[in-house]
Amino acid sequence: MSLGHGANREAEHWLYALGLPAGVEACTHLARTPYPHVVVSLALPDGIDAELPAVPDELRESSDRAAADHAAHRGGRAFLFAGVEGLTGTVTVADLLAKSAISRVKVLGGAEPDPVTELDTRDFVRPEWMDGELTLMATAAPRGRLAPFEFPNPTPCCGGAH
Amino acid sequence: MGHGHHHHHDLGGQPADVPEALDLSIPDSELSPSDVSRRGFLRGAGLLGAGAAASVLATPGVAHAHGDDHDHGSSGDHDSKGGFLWLAGDHHIHTQYSSDAQYRVLDQARHAHAYGLDWIVITDHGSVAHAKIGVDKVNPDIVATRGQLKDLLVFQGLEWNIPAAEHATVFVHPGRNEVAVLKEFENAYDGTVKNAGASTPENEALAIAGIKFLGEAVRRRRVDGALFLANHPARRGVDSPHEIRAWRDADPTVAVGFEGAPGHQAAGIPAGGAGGRGFYEGSPSSASFPGYPLESYRTWGGFDWMTATVGGLWDSLLAEGKAWWISANSDSHTNYLDTSQRGPDSNFDLNGRYNDPVYGPLLTEAGDFWPGQYSRTHVGASSFAYRAVMDGIRSGRVWVDHGGLINGLDVRARVAGDRRSGSGTPLGGVMRVKRGTKVELTIDIDLADTPNWSQFVPVLARVDVIAGSVTGAVSDRDSFTAPDTKVVKSFEVSKGTGKVSFTYSFGRVDRPFYVRVRGTDGKRTAPGVLGAAIDPVGPAMDVIGDADPWLDLWFYGNPIWVLPS
Repeated sequence: MSLGHGANREAEHWLYALGLPAGVEACTHLARTPYPHVVVSLALPDGIDAELPAVPDELRESSDRAAADHAAHRGGRAFLFAGVEGLTGTVTVADLLAKSAISRVKVLGGAEPDPVTELDTRDFVRPEWMDGELTLMATAAPRGRLAPFEFPNPTPCCGGAH
Repeated sequence: MGHGHHHHHDLGGQPADVPEALDLSIPDSELSPSDVSRRGFLRGAGLLGAGAAASVLATPGVAHAHGDDHDHGSSGDHDSKGGFLWLAGDHHIHTQYSSDAQYRVLDQARHAHAYGLDWIVITDHGSVAHAKIGVDKVNPDIVATRGQLKDLLVFQGLEWNIPAAEHATVFVHPGRNEVAVLKEFENAYDGTVKNAGASTPENEALAIAGIKFLGEAVRRRRVDGALFLANHPARRGVDSPHEIRAWRDADPTVAVGFEGAPGHQAAGIPAGGAGGRGFYEGSPSSASFPGYPLESYRTWGGFDWMTATVGGLWDSLLAEGKAWWISANSDSHTNYLDTSQRGPDSNFDLNGRYNDPVYGPLLTEAGDFWPGQYSRTHVGASSFAYRAVMDGIRSGRVWVDHGGLINGLDVRARVAGDRRSGSGTPLGGVMRVKRGTKVELTIDIDLADTPNWSQFVPVLARVDVIAGSVTGAVSDRDSFTAPDTKVVKSFEVSKGTGKVSFTYSFGRVDRPFYVRVRGTDGKRTAPGVLGAAIDPVGPAMDVIGDADPWLDLWFYGNPIWVLPS
């Protein structure tokens, strides 16, 4: 579903405001047509239904594609997923894999991370579905740690307005 | 994005519209006397660089340096090397006329001057308030500063919100129409003023029209020159390859390059703001070009991924024969460890400016350096003059450095064995030789001999020669790789002071290629983005929260083309 939000974070806030049942997995997807926008897809626990806002006609195609990608576990950036609430502060890679639905940590341009490596979550973890794996892209961080690639509050561009 | 614009292709095309002195399709007899003498000087000095042409492949005979000695009238303060006066500058500086900045023009200019710069461009953000008020009001401050600091060239420009894309420095030659041209440009073409930020074909076309407007302002002699440099091009992934190509092709005498390294170099200092170097902290968005990898959203050794990637986007333009130059700058808004703040009782929207800054708390989390404190763009000019700086930039006679890594750089493509001081083809130039001629590259470097602005003398550890075939216009305007380009030679530097010289031989040349150089203090390196076979010891991706810019220094030179025929 989509309201045509331009940015991931706006779409996330919109969804939080809807008040979703527990156990939902929610992903954002970037779409370029008919104009740049963000689509949100939900995977609901078995037997649970949710009343969702209607998708505007012009965003139907991108919404359907996002839903299919999420269902097939080949696309979607998850912001609500099993165990996300426990991913705060610093955790080891092994803990992160054990405590959440994330099934893989990849280091940008690096080797497979050692399970004991510490990861500074910055209290903001957004893994992506890739090849059937809920994958967290990580990069080097201070003090020999890793951190998620996605930085929580990027400095607004000069001017701040965009 | 994702749709293709297909403007004219370069190969075999006529040079695009250029200032008349530079437009070699206009015979001398049809030029004004002053343009004839200007062209004569430029031609004689080998200063008609590749930048004045639609493609280096389409402009025979314009860019040879030659053997004549000529007097550039250098003053003692400036570095005269290789026959040029090398003038250091910064094309991206904000003042109290930007909603997110605070300094007076004079504050920025005095620091730039103290830190050793020869020229600066004042580039406040395009905005509704700036278009209405600031663009006018900043001018008297700039004019006054020119009067107060006689040996600093102060251009007026603005930071354009490119429709459908990132920001760009746009600036013009001083003169009676400088404000009028900038104001008309901003009101008609700024992405914020026109609410044209979205990545749509209409907005991309507006950007093209803006660049053409600037070229037209030069041709109509409203201003004596206008230049465009795309700022922080990879920061948000919204400058797609086809847009960059389209800007350049819209008018290659105006749109001449992008920031090889963004400003905000203090932003990743661990004890400071501990953000991303250059404030490169983003991730893909719905507005970004889908083809760009995650690596493009970070700096590499302080440089933008488009430039830092050997065989990447910049190289893909050079391999096409597109003259496209890189720069470095401060993007100064609020400076690390300064002690000032915006003036009290300011009303930016009403006045188009903040009140003059006053004493304030230590700015430990600010991400910027003062102009000249860390980043410098060195331009080989024919004299200490506004037009000479613009001509030098347009010709690509430019190299950049961080942290005062080196003092001077003279790179020349030469016929093997020719060591005459004035001969050879300099940065930005095109060397045309008979097929089979032996060609070599000479690199003469003045090592740093004085402390930089962190009070240490940088030590150059390595110099890399990067070369690739010129393969002509691409069929896919969104391509951003140059598969044939790689590091062909690395020179270790064993001396700590004085001068070092290196020669790299290309042997007998039979195919067109280009070459560029890069150097580093060697403190932070990694295999290149495209692999060790292409760039074995390249810049490493900067770490958010742990990027001390003083411990990772690089210089980059612009390319030289060698075209055998």
